[in-house]
Amino acid sequence: MAGIVCRTVSRIISSQASCSSSVVAVRHSHWFTSMLSLKTSVPLRAEPKKKKKVDPRREMMMKERLKKKLKRLEKVPPELIPIEDFITSAKSFDETRIREAPKLSFEESERRAHLLKEWSRYKRTQHQTEMDVIQEALEAQRQALDELKLESEELYKAAVSPDTDVFPFQHEGPCYTPPITNYEAPEGKFNDITRVYTQ
Amino acid sequence: MAAPFTRVYRPLWRIITTTTSNGRVRNVSYTRQQWSAQNVKTAGAAASPWALHGAVCVQRLPVVSQDRSPIEEKFMELMQQMELERSLLADHELKLLDDAARMSRKQEEDYDSDEEEDYKDKEIVTAQDLEDVWEQKLKEFQPAPRTQGVNQKDVSSSERCLADSLILLVKKDIGSQKLWLLPQIQWQMGETLRQTAERALASLPGADLKATFLGNAPCGFYKYKYPKDIQKEGTVGAKVFFFKAVLSSHKHLPLEKNSFAWVKKDELQDFLKPEYLKQVRRFIMAL
Repeated sequence: MAGIVCRTVSRIISSQASCSSSVVAVRHSHWFTSMLSLKTSVPLRAEPKKKKKVDPRREMMMKERLKKKLKRLEKVPPELIPIEDFITSAKSFDETRIREAPKLSFEESERRAHLLKEWSRYKRTQHQTEMDVIQEALEAQRQALDELKLESEELYKAAVSPDTDVFPFQHEGPCYTPPITNYEAPEGKFNDITRVYTQ
Repeated sequence: MAAPFTRVYRPLWRIITTTTSNGRVRNVSYTRQQWSAQNVKTAGAAASPWALHGAVCVQRLPVVSQDRSPIEEKFMELMQQMELERSLLADHELKLLDDAARMSRKQEEDYDSDEEEDYKDKEIVTAQDLEDVWEQKLKEFQPAPRTQGVNQKDVSSSERCLADSLILLVKKDIGSQKLWLLPQIQWQMGETLRQTAERALASLPGADLKATFLGNAPCGFYKYKYPKDIQKEGTVGAKVFFFKAVLSSHKHLPLEKNSFAWVKKDELQDFLKPEYLKQVRRFIMAL
Protein backbone atom coordinates (compact mmCIF):
# COMPACT_ATOMS: atom_id res chain seq x y z
CA MET A 1 0.00 0.00 0.00
CA ALA A 2 2.81 2.38 0.93
CA GLY A 3 4.76 1.33 -2.14
CA ILE A 4 1.82 2.11 -4.40
CA VAL A 5 1.45 5.49 -2.81
CA CYS A 6 5.12 6.18 -3.32
CA ARG A 7 5.00 5.25 -6.95
CA THR A 8 1.97 7.44 -7.66
CA VAL A 9 3.60 10.31 -5.87
CA SER A 10 6.68 9.84 -7.98
CA ARG A 11 4.67 9.94 -11.20
CA ILE A 12 2.92 13.12 -10.18
CA ILE A 13 6.15 14.93 -9.48
CA SER A 14 7.73 13.64 -12.70
CA SER A 15 7.85 17.11 -14.27
CA GLN A 16 10.31 18.17 -11.73
CA ALA A 17 12.47 15.21 -12.68
CA SER A 18 15.04 15.34 -10.07
CA CYS A 19 17.43 12.96 -8.48
CA SER A 20 15.14 12.58 -5.50
CA SER A 21 12.28 11.17 -7.58
CA SER A 22 14.52 8.77 -9.38
CA VAL A 23 15.86 7.71 -6.07
CA VAL A 24 12.35 7.01 -4.81
CA ALA A 25 11.48 5.09 -7.95
CA VAL A 26 14.67 3.13 -8.00
CA ARG A 27 14.89 2.40 -4.31
CA HIS A 28 12.65 -0.61 -4.40
CA SER A 29 14.18 -2.21 -7.48
CA HIS A 30 16.46 -5.20 -6.95
CA TRP A 31 19.23 -3.77 -9.09
CA PHE A 32 20.55 -1.78 -6.24
CA THR A 33 22.09 -2.41 -2.98
CA SER A 34 23.17 1.04 -1.98
CA MET A 35 21.81 4.49 -2.50
CA LEU A 36 25.12 5.92 -3.62
CA SER A 37 25.35 4.42 -7.04
CA LEU A 38 22.43 6.32 -8.51
CA LYS A 39 23.48 7.34 -11.91
CA THR A 40 24.38 3.94 -13.13
CA SER A 41 20.87 2.46 -12.83
CA VAL A 42 19.78 0.22 -15.72
CA PRO A 43 16.89 2.24 -17.09
CA LEU A 44 18.97 5.39 -16.88
CA ARG A 45 21.83 3.74 -18.69
CA ALA A 46 19.72 2.15 -21.42
CA GLU A 47 17.99 5.16 -22.93
CA PRO A 48 19.27 8.64 -23.38
CA LYS A 49 17.27 10.84 -21.08
CA LYS A 50 14.52 12.77 -22.80
CA LYS A 51 14.44 16.49 -22.66
CA LYS A 52 12.22 17.87 -19.97
CA LYS A 53 10.46 20.58 -22.02
CA VAL A 54 9.01 18.49 -24.79
CA ASP A 55 7.49 15.80 -22.53
CA PRO A 56 4.78 17.84 -20.90
CA ARG A 57 3.97 19.52 -24.20
CA ARG A 58 3.62 16.25 -26.01
CA GLU A 59 1.42 14.87 -23.26
CA MET A 60 -0.73 17.96 -23.43
CA MET A 61 -1.10 17.57 -27.19
CA MET A 62 -2.07 13.94 -26.83
CA LYS A 63 -4.69 14.79 -24.23
CA GLU A 64 -6.17 17.50 -26.42
CA ARG A 65 -6.41 15.20 -29.42
CA LEU A 66 -8.17 12.57 -27.34
CA LYS A 67 -10.58 15.16 -26.00
CA LYS A 68 -11.42 16.37 -29.50
CA LYS A 69 -12.11 12.83 -30.64
CA LEU A 70 -14.38 12.27 -27.65
CA LYS A 71 -16.31 15.47 -28.45
CA ARG A 72 -16.82 14.41 -32.04
CA LEU A 73 -18.20 11.08 -30.90
CA GLU A 74 -20.48 12.67 -28.35
CA LYS A 75 -21.94 15.12 -30.90
CA VAL A 76 -23.97 12.32 -32.47
CA PRO A 77 -27.68 12.99 -31.64
CA PRO A 78 -29.25 10.47 -29.27
CA GLU A 79 -31.31 7.70 -30.81
CA LEU A 80 -35.03 8.41 -30.80
CA ILE A 81 -37.13 6.27 -28.49
CA PRO A 82 -39.46 4.18 -30.68
CA ILE A 83 -43.19 4.65 -30.12
CA GLU A 84 -44.45 1.13 -29.71
CA ASP A 85 -48.03 2.03 -30.67
CA PHE A 86 -46.94 3.13 -34.13
CA ILE A 87 -44.99 -0.01 -34.97
CA THR A 88 -47.22 -2.70 -36.47
CA SER A 89 -46.07 -5.98 -35.04
CA ALA A 90 -45.03 -8.78 -37.39
CA LYS A 91 -48.02 -10.82 -36.20
CA SER A 92 -50.34 -8.64 -38.27
CA PHE A 93 -48.60 -9.66 -41.50
CA ASP A 94 -48.80 -13.35 -40.72
CA GLU A 95 -50.72 -15.04 -43.51
CA THR A 96 -51.96 -17.92 -41.39
CA ARG A 97 -54.08 -15.46 -39.42
CA ILE A 98 -56.28 -14.22 -42.22
CA ARG A 99 -59.94 -14.84 -41.49
CA GLU A 100 -62.20 -15.88 -44.34
CA ALA A 101 -64.43 -12.99 -45.29
CA PRO A 102 -68.05 -14.12 -45.10
CA LYS A 103 -70.28 -13.58 -48.11
CA LEU A 104 -73.16 -11.30 -47.19
CA SER A 105 -76.53 -11.75 -48.78
CA PHE A 106 -78.19 -8.81 -50.44
CA GLU A 107 -80.73 -8.48 -47.61
CA GLU A 108 -78.00 -8.48 -45.01
CA SER A 109 -75.99 -5.76 -46.71
CA GLU A 110 -79.17 -3.71 -47.19
CA ARG A 111 -80.06 -4.12 -43.53
CA ARG A 112 -76.60 -2.98 -42.53
CA ALA A 113 -76.73 0.09 -44.75
CA HIS A 114 -80.15 1.08 -43.38
CA LEU A 115 -79.06 0.56 -39.80
CA LEU A 116 -75.98 2.74 -40.27
CA LYS A 117 -78.09 5.55 -41.71
CA GLU A 118 -80.63 5.28 -38.90
CA TRP A 119 -77.81 5.37 -36.41
CA SER A 120 -76.36 8.55 -37.86
CA ARG A 121 -79.81 10.18 -37.65
CA TYR A 122 -80.27 9.02 -34.06
CA LYS A 123 -76.84 10.30 -33.08
CA ARG A 124 -77.51 13.63 -34.73
CA THR A 125 -80.73 14.18 -32.79
CA GLN A 126 -78.98 13.12 -29.59
CA HIS A 127 -76.18 15.60 -30.20
CA GLN A 128 -78.68 18.35 -31.01
CA THR A 129 -80.59 17.82 -27.78
CA GLU A 130 -77.33 17.81 -25.80
CA MET A 131 -76.24 21.09 -27.35
CA ASP A 132 -79.65 22.65 -26.72
CA VAL A 133 -79.64 21.56 -23.08
CA ILE A 134 -76.16 23.01 -22.59
CA GLN A 135 -77.14 26.29 -24.23
CA GLU A 136 -80.22 26.51 -22.03
CA ALA A 137 -78.18 25.96 -18.88
CA LEU A 138 -75.63 28.58 -19.94
CA GLU A 139 -78.41 31.06 -20.67
CA ALA A 140 -79.98 30.43 -17.27
CA GLN A 141 -76.62 31.06 -15.63
CA ARG A 142 -76.05 34.24 -17.56
CA GLN A 143 -79.44 35.62 -16.57
CA ALA A 144 -78.83 34.66 -12.95
CA LEU A 145 -75.55 36.56 -12.97
CA ASP A 146 -77.24 39.61 -14.52
CA GLU A 147 -79.90 39.59 -11.80
CA LEU A 148 -77.23 39.23 -9.14
CA LYS A 149 -75.39 42.21 -10.59
CA LEU A 150 -78.57 44.26 -10.27
CA GLU A 151 -78.74 43.25 -6.64
CA SER A 152 -75.24 43.96 -5.41
CA GLU A 153 -71.83 44.36 -6.98
CA GLU A 154 -70.02 42.64 -4.10
CA LEU A 155 -71.96 39.44 -4.38
CA TYR A 156 -71.58 39.55 -8.15
CA LYS A 157 -67.82 39.89 -7.88
CA ALA A 158 -67.68 37.03 -5.39
CA ALA A 159 -69.76 34.87 -7.72
CA VAL A 160 -67.64 35.66 -10.77
CA SER A 161 -64.29 35.13 -9.01
CA PRO A 162 -62.61 31.82 -9.90
CA ASP A 163 -62.98 28.87 -7.54
CA THR A 164 -59.65 27.22 -6.81
CA ASP A 165 -61.03 24.21 -4.95
CA VAL A 166 -63.21 22.78 -7.69
CA PHE A 167 -60.22 21.50 -9.74
CA PRO A 168 -58.90 18.82 -9.76
CA PHE A 169 -62.42 17.39 -9.76
CA GLN A 170 -62.76 13.65 -9.30
CA HIS A 171 -65.84 11.50 -9.61
CA GLU A 172 -66.21 7.74 -10.16
CA GLY A 173 -68.36 7.32 -13.20
CA PRO A 174 -71.20 4.83 -13.71
CA CYS A 175 -70.26 1.17 -14.16
CA TYR A 176 -72.39 -1.72 -15.35
CA THR A 177 -73.12 -2.97 -11.82
CA PRO A 178 -73.17 -0.92 -8.62
CA PRO A 179 -70.27 -1.29 -6.16
CA ILE A 180 -70.57 -4.08 -3.60
CA THR A 181 -70.51 -2.71 -0.04
CA ASN A 182 -67.50 -3.82 2.04
CA TYR A 183 -65.97 -5.76 -0.83
CA GLU A 184 -62.42 -7.01 -0.36
CA ALA A 185 -60.71 -7.34 -3.69
CA PRO A 186 -58.47 -10.45 -3.91
CA GLU A 187 -54.77 -9.75 -3.90
CA GLY A 188 -53.10 -10.45 -7.17
CA LYS A 189 -49.68 -9.94 -8.65
CA PHE A 190 -48.65 -9.07 -12.15
CA ASN A 191 -45.42 -9.01 -14.12
CA ASP A 192 -44.74 -5.62 -15.59
CA ILE A 193 -43.24 -6.20 -19.03
CA THR A 194 -43.21 -2.60 -20.27
CA ARG A 195 -40.00 -1.79 -22.09
CA VAL A 196 -38.08 1.15 -20.64
CA TYR A 197 -35.84 3.06 -23.01
CA THR A 198 -32.98 5.28 -21.88
CA GLN A 199 -31.24 7.79 -24.10
CA MET B 1 -44.45 60.12 -30.66
CA ALA B 2 -47.46 58.68 -32.37
CA ALA B 3 -46.78 55.09 -31.22
CA PRO B 4 -46.97 55.60 -27.44
CA PHE B 5 -49.99 57.83 -27.86
CA THR B 6 -51.99 55.16 -29.71
CA ARG B 7 -51.07 52.57 -27.12
CA VAL B 8 -52.63 54.59 -24.37
CA TYR B 9 -55.61 55.49 -26.53
CA ARG B 10 -56.57 51.98 -27.61
CA PRO B 11 -57.56 50.39 -24.30
CA LEU B 12 -60.00 53.19 -23.48
CA TRP B 13 -61.60 52.88 -26.91
CA ARG B 14 -62.00 49.12 -26.42
CA ILE B 15 -63.60 49.59 -23.00
CA ILE B 16 -66.13 52.04 -24.44
CA THR B 17 -67.18 49.75 -27.30
CA THR B 18 -67.49 46.65 -25.10
CA THR B 19 -69.55 48.36 -22.43
CA THR B 20 -71.93 49.86 -24.97
CA SER B 21 -72.46 46.45 -26.59
CA ASN B 22 -73.72 44.98 -23.26
CA GLY B 23 -77.18 46.48 -23.38
CA ARG B 24 -78.23 44.84 -20.12
CA VAL B 25 -75.62 46.42 -17.87
CA ARG B 26 -77.31 49.07 -15.85
CA ASN B 27 -74.27 50.91 -14.52
CA VAL B 28 -72.13 51.69 -17.54
CA SER B 29 -68.74 52.92 -16.39
CA TYR B 30 -65.71 53.99 -18.37
CA THR B 31 -62.87 54.83 -16.04
CA ARG B 32 -61.75 53.38 -12.75
CA GLN B 33 -62.57 56.51 -10.80
CA GLN B 34 -66.14 56.56 -11.99
CA TRP B 35 -66.50 52.85 -11.19
CA SER B 36 -65.38 53.20 -7.59
CA ALA B 37 -67.68 56.19 -7.22
CA GLN B 38 -70.52 54.02 -8.49
CA ASN B 39 -69.69 51.36 -5.90
CA VAL B 40 -69.93 53.84 -3.09
CA LYS B 41 -73.28 54.98 -4.44
CA THR B 42 -74.79 51.46 -4.48
CA ALA B 43 -73.55 50.76 -0.97
CA GLY B 44 -75.07 53.89 0.36
CA ALA B 45 -78.29 53.73 -1.65
CA ALA B 46 -81.54 52.23 -0.39
CA ALA B 47 -81.47 48.43 -0.04
CA SER B 48 -83.02 46.62 -2.97
CA PRO B 49 -86.61 45.54 -2.48
CA TRP B 50 -85.80 41.86 -2.99
CA ALA B 51 -84.85 39.54 -0.15
CA LEU B 52 -81.98 37.26 -1.17
CA HIS B 53 -82.08 33.52 -0.69
CA GLY B 54 -79.47 30.91 -1.54
CA ALA B 55 -80.61 27.48 -2.65
CA VAL B 56 -78.71 24.32 -3.51
CA CYS B 57 -79.45 21.78 -6.24
CA VAL B 58 -77.79 18.58 -4.94
CA GLN B 59 -77.49 15.86 -7.57
CA ARG B 60 -76.85 12.22 -6.90
CA LEU B 61 -75.13 11.32 -10.17
CA PRO B 62 -75.85 7.92 -11.77
CA VAL B 63 -74.11 4.92 -10.25
CA VAL B 64 -74.96 2.46 -12.98
CA SER B 65 -75.02 2.82 -16.77
CA GLN B 66 -78.33 3.26 -18.53
CA ASP B 67 -80.01 0.43 -20.43
CA ARG B 68 -79.55 0.52 -24.16
CA SER B 69 -82.42 1.59 -26.41
CA PRO B 70 -83.42 -0.89 -29.18
CA ILE B 71 -81.50 0.92 -31.91
CA GLU B 72 -78.44 1.06 -29.70
CA GLU B 73 -78.66 -2.69 -29.11
CA LYS B 74 -78.95 -3.41 -32.81
CA PHE B 75 -76.06 -1.11 -33.64
CA MET B 76 -73.85 -2.60 -30.95
CA GLU B 77 -74.44 -6.09 -32.35
CA LEU B 78 -73.72 -4.90 -35.87
CA MET B 79 -70.48 -3.23 -34.82
CA GLN B 80 -69.27 -6.32 -32.99
CA GLN B 81 -70.08 -8.47 -35.99
CA MET B 82 -68.31 -6.15 -38.43
CA GLU B 83 -65.23 -5.89 -36.24
CA LEU B 84 -65.03 -9.64 -35.95
CA GLU B 85 -65.29 -10.04 -39.71
CA ARG B 86 -62.56 -7.53 -40.44
CA SER B 87 -60.12 -8.80 -37.80
CA LEU B 88 -57.26 -11.28 -37.91
CA LEU B 89 -57.19 -14.51 -35.94
CA ALA B 90 -55.91 -14.14 -32.41
CA ASP B 91 -53.40 -16.44 -30.70
CA HIS B 92 -56.17 -18.15 -28.75
CA GLU B 93 -58.18 -18.81 -31.90
CA LEU B 94 -55.13 -20.25 -33.65
CA LYS B 95 -54.63 -22.61 -30.72
CA LEU B 96 -58.28 -23.66 -30.95
CA LEU B 97 -57.84 -24.45 -34.64
CA ASP B 98 -54.64 -26.40 -34.00
CA ASP B 99 -56.32 -28.42 -31.28
CA ALA B 100 -59.27 -29.17 -33.52
CA ALA B 101 -56.91 -30.31 -36.30
CA ARG B 102 -55.01 -32.53 -33.88
CA MET B 103 -58.22 -34.08 -32.59
CA SER B 104 -59.33 -34.85 -36.13
CA ARG B 105 -55.94 -36.44 -36.83
CA LYS B 106 -56.29 -38.58 -33.70
CA GLN B 107 -59.64 -39.89 -34.87
CA GLU B 108 -58.13 -41.28 -38.06
CA GLU B 109 -57.22 -44.92 -38.19
CA ASP B 110 -53.61 -44.56 -39.14
CA TYR B 111 -52.77 -42.26 -36.28
CA ASP B 112 -49.23 -42.40 -35.06
CA SER B 113 -48.57 -40.36 -31.96
CA ASP B 114 -44.86 -40.27 -32.70
CA GLU B 115 -45.57 -38.15 -35.76
CA GLU B 116 -46.68 -35.29 -33.61
CA GLU B 117 -44.02 -32.67 -33.83
CA ASP B 118 -44.52 -30.47 -30.84
CA TYR B 119 -46.22 -32.52 -28.19
CA LYS B 120 -44.94 -36.01 -27.71
CA ASP B 121 -45.21 -37.07 -24.12
CA LYS B 122 -46.19 -33.81 -22.50
CA GLU B 123 -49.59 -33.19 -21.03
CA ILE B 124 -51.62 -31.10 -23.40
CA VAL B 125 -53.75 -28.28 -22.09
CA THR B 126 -56.07 -27.46 -24.92
CA ALA B 127 -57.40 -23.99 -25.49
CA GLN B 128 -60.91 -25.26 -24.83
CA ASP B 129 -59.82 -26.42 -21.37
CA LEU B 130 -58.47 -22.96 -20.68
CA GLU B 131 -61.76 -21.44 -21.75
CA ASP B 132 -63.66 -23.69 -19.38
CA VAL B 133 -61.36 -22.79 -16.51
CA TRP B 134 -61.90 -19.11 -17.20
CA GLU B 135 -65.68 -19.56 -17.27
CA GLN B 136 -65.56 -21.31 -13.91
CA LYS B 137 -63.56 -18.48 -12.41
CA LEU B 138 -66.00 -15.90 -13.73
CA LYS B 139 -68.95 -17.69 -12.20
CA GLU B 140 -67.31 -17.56 -8.78
CA PHE B 141 -67.69 -13.77 -8.73
CA GLN B 142 -71.17 -12.46 -7.99
CA PRO B 143 -71.63 -8.80 -8.97
CA ALA B 144 -74.25 -6.68 -7.21
CA PRO B 145 -77.58 -6.55 -9.03
CA ARG B 146 -78.16 -3.51 -11.23
CA THR B 147 -81.44 -2.64 -9.53
CA GLN B 148 -80.72 -2.74 -5.82
CA GLY B 149 -83.71 -4.23 -4.02
CA VAL B 150 -85.09 -0.78 -3.17
CA ASN B 151 -88.54 0.02 -4.46
CA GLN B 152 -88.20 2.32 -7.45
CA LYS B 153 -91.16 4.43 -6.40
CA ASP B 154 -89.96 5.08 -2.88
CA VAL B 155 -88.99 8.68 -3.30
CA SER B 156 -87.18 9.10 -0.01
CA SER B 157 -84.41 6.61 -0.74
CA SER B 158 -81.31 7.79 -2.54
CA GLU B 159 -80.68 4.27 -3.84
CA ARG B 160 -83.58 4.28 -6.28
CA CYS B 161 -83.05 4.60 -10.05
CA LEU B 162 -79.29 4.06 -10.01
CA ALA B 163 -79.11 4.76 -13.74
CA ASP B 164 -80.42 8.34 -13.48
CA SER B 165 -79.28 11.44 -11.67
CA LEU B 166 -81.53 12.39 -8.76
CA ILE B 167 -82.17 15.79 -7.20
CA LEU B 168 -82.99 16.47 -3.56
CA LEU B 169 -86.27 18.23 -2.78
CA VAL B 170 -87.44 19.43 0.60
CA LYS B 171 -90.93 20.21 1.83
CA LYS B 172 -91.04 23.63 3.42
CA ASP B 173 -93.60 26.01 4.87
CA ILE B 174 -93.81 29.13 2.80
CA GLY B 175 -96.40 31.51 4.13
CA SER B 176 -99.47 29.42 4.66
CA GLN B 177 -98.68 26.54 2.30
CA LYS B 178 -96.38 23.58 2.41
CA LEU B 179 -94.41 23.43 -0.81
CA TRP B 180 -91.79 21.13 -2.28
CA LEU B 181 -88.66 23.16 -3.02
CA LEU B 182 -84.95 22.87 -3.50
CA PRO B 183 -83.34 23.46 -0.09
CA GLN B 184 -83.03 27.21 0.41
CA ILE B 185 -82.22 29.60 3.21
CA GLN B 186 -82.15 33.38 3.65
CA TRP B 187 -78.96 35.26 2.89
CA GLN B 188 -77.20 36.95 5.81
CA MET B 189 -74.96 39.99 5.64
CA GLY B 190 -71.28 39.26 5.30
CA GLU B 191 -71.41 35.96 3.44
CA THR B 192 -71.34 35.12 -0.23
CA LEU B 193 -74.32 33.41 -1.82
CA ARG B 194 -72.34 30.20 -2.20
CA GLN B 195 -71.84 30.13 1.55
CA THR B 196 -75.57 30.63 1.94
CA ALA B 197 -76.17 27.61 -0.25
CA GLU B 198 -73.69 25.55 1.77
CA ARG B 199 -75.46 26.61 4.92
CA ALA B 200 -78.78 25.62 3.36
CA LEU B 201 -77.41 22.12 2.73
CA ALA B 202 -75.88 21.77 6.17
CA SER B 203 -78.95 22.99 8.00
CA LEU B 204 -81.25 20.30 6.63
CA PRO B 205 -82.61 18.49 9.67
CA GLY B 206 -81.51 14.90 10.00
CA ALA B 207 -79.50 14.70 6.81
CA ASP B 208 -75.72 14.34 6.78
CA LEU B 209 -75.06 15.09 3.14
CA LYS B 210 -71.64 16.02 1.84
CA ALA B 211 -71.55 17.64 -1.56
CA THR B 212 -68.95 19.29 -3.80
CA PHE B 213 -70.12 22.66 -5.05
CA LEU B 214 -69.35 23.33 -8.70
CA GLY B 215 -68.02 26.87 -8.77
CA ASN B 216 -68.86 30.19 -7.19
CA ALA B 217 -71.45 31.32 -9.71
CA PRO B 218 -75.17 30.55 -9.42
CA CYS B 219 -76.66 28.37 -12.12
CA GLY B 220 -80.16 29.85 -12.09
CA PHE B 221 -82.51 32.12 -10.24
CA TYR B 222 -86.20 32.47 -9.40
CA LYS B 223 -87.92 35.59 -8.18
CA TYR B 224 -91.37 35.82 -6.73
CA LYS B 225 -93.39 38.56 -5.10
CA TYR B 226 -94.80 38.17 -1.66
CA PRO B 227 -98.60 38.31 -1.39
CA LYS B 228 -99.70 41.85 -0.58
CA ASP B 229 -100.54 41.26 3.05
CA ILE B 230 -97.06 39.96 3.86
CA GLN B 231 -95.13 42.59 1.96
CA LYS B 232 -93.14 44.47 4.58
CA GLU B 233 -91.75 47.91 4.09
CA GLY B 234 -89.26 47.79 1.31
CA THR B 235 -89.39 44.07 0.46
CA VAL B 236 -91.44 43.35 -2.60
CA GLY B 237 -90.50 39.71 -2.85
CA ALA B 238 -87.60 37.32 -2.83
CA LYS B 239 -84.92 36.25 -5.28
CA VAL B 240 -83.62 32.74 -4.96
CA PHE B 241 -80.24 31.91 -6.51
CA PHE B 242 -79.54 28.23 -7.17
CA PHE B 243 -76.12 26.62 -6.85
CA LYS B 244 -75.20 23.24 -8.27
CA ALA B 245 -73.58 20.57 -6.14
CA VAL B 246 -72.65 16.95 -6.65
CA LEU B 247 -73.30 14.49 -3.82
CA SER B 248 -69.95 13.08 -2.72
CA SER B 249 -70.72 10.84 0.27
CA HIS B 250 -73.09 8.06 -0.51
CA LYS B 251 -74.40 7.10 2.91
CA HIS B 252 -77.68 5.26 2.96
CA LEU B 253 -79.25 7.46 5.56
CA PRO B 254 -82.98 6.98 5.70
CA LEU B 255 -84.54 10.41 5.38
CA GLU B 256 -88.03 11.31 6.56
CA LYS B 257 -90.52 10.36 3.94
CA ASN B 258 -92.67 13.39 3.93
CA SER B 259 -90.02 16.06 4.06
CA PHE B 260 -87.29 14.76 1.69
CA ALA B 261 -87.46 13.39 -1.83
CA TRP B 262 -84.89 12.20 -4.37
CA VAL B 263 -86.47 12.91 -7.71
CA LYS B 264 -85.61 12.41 -11.38
CA LYS B 265 -85.95 15.32 -13.81
CA ASP B 266 -89.18 14.04 -15.37
CA GLU B 267 -90.75 13.49 -11.97
CA LEU B 268 -90.15 17.09 -10.93
CA GLN B 269 -93.49 18.22 -12.37
CA ASP B 270 -95.33 16.13 -9.77
CA PHE B 271 -93.65 18.02 -6.97
CA LEU B 272 -92.87 21.59 -7.96
CA LYS B 273 -95.12 24.50 -8.80
CA PRO B 274 -95.29 25.34 -12.53
CA GLU B 275 -93.50 28.71 -12.45
CA TYR B 276 -90.78 27.42 -10.15
CA LEU B 277 -90.43 24.29 -12.23
CA LYS B 278 -90.00 26.32 -15.40
CA GLN B 279 -86.92 28.05 -13.98
CA VAL B 280 -85.47 24.99 -12.32
CA ARG B 281 -85.75 22.76 -15.39
CA ARG B 282 -83.45 25.07 -17.36
CA PHE B 283 -80.30 24.22 -15.47
CA ILE B 284 -80.96 20.59 -14.55
CA MET B 285 -79.38 18.43 -17.23
CA ALA B 286 -80.65 14.87 -17.37
CA LEU B 287 -79.46 13.53 -20.69
